[in-house]
Amino acid sequence: MSAHIPISTFKPYRGEKTRLVRAYDYLILVLALFLFIGSFHLHFALTVGDWDFWVDWKDRQWWPLVTPLIGITFPAAVQAVLWDKFRLPLGATLCVAALLLGTWVTRVFAYHYWNYFPINMVLPATMLPGALVLDALLMLTNSLTITSIFGGAAFALLFYPTNWPIFGMFHQPVEYANSQLTVADLFGFQYIRTGMPEYLRIIERGTLRTYGQYATPLSAFCSALLCSLMYPLWWHIGKWFASTRYLTKI
Amino acid sequence: MKATFKLWLLALIGLTVLSALEMPVAQAHGEKALEPFIRMRTIQWYDVQWSTQKFNVDDEVSVSGKFHVAEDWPISVPKPEASFLNISTPGPVLIRTERYLNGKPWVNSVALQPGGDYEFKVVLKGRLPGRYHIHPFFNLKDAGQVMGPGAWLEIGGQASDFSNTIKTISGEAIDMESFGLSNGIFWHLFWGLLAAAWLIWWVRRPLFISRYRMLEAGLEHELVTKNDKLIAKLILVGVPVLVLVLNEMTANRHPDAIPLQAGLDQILPLPAQVNAGTVNVDTLKAEYNVAQRSMVLQVKVDNRSQSRVRIGEFSTSNVHFLNPALSLSGVMTDDDDITSQGLSIDDDKPIEPGEQRVVTLIARDAAWESEKLDGLIRDADSRIGGLLFLYDELLGQRYISSISAAVIPKFS
Repeated sequence: MSAHIPISTFKPYRGEKTRLVRAYDYLILVLALFLFIGSFHLHFALTVGDWDFWVDWKDRQWWPLVTPLIGITFPAAVQAVLWDKFRLPLGATLCVAALLLGTWVTRVFAYHYWNYFPINMVLPATMLPGALVLDALLMLTNSLTITSIFGGAAFALLFYPTNWPIFGMFHQPVEYANSQLTVADLFGFQYIRTGMPEYLRIIERGTLRTYGQYATPLSAFCSALLCSLMYPLWWHIGKWFASTRYLTKI
Repeated sequence: MKATFKLWLLALIGLTVLSALEMPVAQAHGEKALEPFIRMRTIQWYDVQWSTQKFNVDDEVSVSGKFHVAEDWPISVPKPEASFLNISTPGPVLIRTERYLNGKPWVNSVALQPGGDYEFKVVLKGRLPGRYHIHPFFNLKDAGQVMGPGAWLEIGGQASDFSNTIKTISGEAIDMESFGLSNGIFWHLFWGLLAAAWLIWWVRRPLFISRYRMLEAGLEHELVTKNDKLIAKLILVGVPVLVLVLNEMTANRHPDAIPLQAGLDQILPLPAQVNAGTVNVDTLKAEYNVAQRSMVLQVKVDNRSQSRVRIGEFSTSNVHFLNPALSLSGVMTDDDDITSQGLSIDDDKPIEPGEQRVVTLIARDAAWESEKLDGLIRDADSRIGGLLFLYDELLGQRYISSISAAVIPKFS
């Protein structure tokens, strides 16, 4: 049950009420921002973790598979609330922006000032373009099915090309210790991480092989398929959280 | 009210007293936390030395030494098929510029062979001034960290003196401390501003309660305007096109970009340094006396060399028990590579060439307890491992044999 308002009796708020609901808007926005910075950041750090922390973990196979798959979770859930209840198409962008705020704060203060790593070694990836497309698609189609299939796929497919302008330069080859490395690999070798031996990196391991040496498109399309499934799952989790069962009068 | 005030006052006083107490800084790396049988029977370090322990930022320092990979590798520990020689530091206060195993430079992880002998060298460069407790150690995949002996390093100078420039294959010199940072910040700001514009576009109008009421009243069509739809369409088309164009531009700018490199290095062990066959040692029995904190080892020594040899040292997990009769000195003084003169031998006469003799060694020191090695008798795999050093006094030759036996505890 929710607070259904017949159109014949609907009256927009005026005067003091308008001021109060606006104040309430800002209060919720600030709280939501901190909630998403904390919760999404924690969720992301515990799941994507090292793939997002370190420049020498951002490979062409697992990074574009894992990051969007985990990254689409909170955006889907928050979209379910903001679109379903308020017709606000900004859930994905808000979530990803909050994640990035939290991530940058951590990278600068925890990784750089506290643990002395150069910030360029721990640059985060961005998912903002995918989030913008996800919001726009949901708004234009008003369809969970279409947003799941095409929005989820776009979120995954856009991830790697979005981030290549940031991380491409770290893939320049370097001759070092009689072998070929990328600049990113060299960061991992030179800047000592006691708890992160090289073998822990998951770089192009497993049965998800390359096809004609193209690894990224395979991973991106695999991620697109999985994101299309992950999106509705988290949409329903978001809906379950956003019950208006007890709201009878407003 | 009064009671609450008192409680708060008490808490405040308590906190003030606590803050005045001196807090010791933790400097250990958990090296004693790993089970003793892993520390004693995996990587057996010896001859570890630092080139210097006092240097300035931007100066190089190296740590070198040898290790034997125990033949009696514990069954519960995965074989060292991927291992990484690391340096325990509180963050990158030093950078690692070079690393050698058996004289070969190596960057990635390596497969070690049980029974194999290796020598290593790691070259480091001071990055941040301070006094740090540093160990060389091995990360063993699925097993943990086996620490080598630690040392205190003192790095002087200023952090701003540090530089780290490398050259790419195309010849471009890059500063590792700042490379790609401004570019990364630019793209994050670029997409961040677009996202902020989209968020502000919506946040500037009444949001939650107002929109919820309108939605419930069936006024959905008033919540999303024509302009909103136009902007959404622009995003839907423009953002992917922009992403692909920028990606293409980057790909053209770095045509030689390669994927991350993650091969496993293969470096063969040295010719046998330990158990080389000249002087053979067979461990017959090992007993640990809990009350006396002593390990009693019965070994059979078979001297096949050309001259007389004497037992000089038993070493396990960075604790060195020296035979005082040979006046040997510890490898690293003033550090936590523990040297004890607590090795006694029942028959310490030189072992003649061709002679086979059964001798009993007693390695007695509180280090068994302080280094948490006595926990061995409570482990599921209560076998000891270590290295026995024998010296040829005439030629100055050193022979090393590995020790391995099940340990029987004696409680009185």
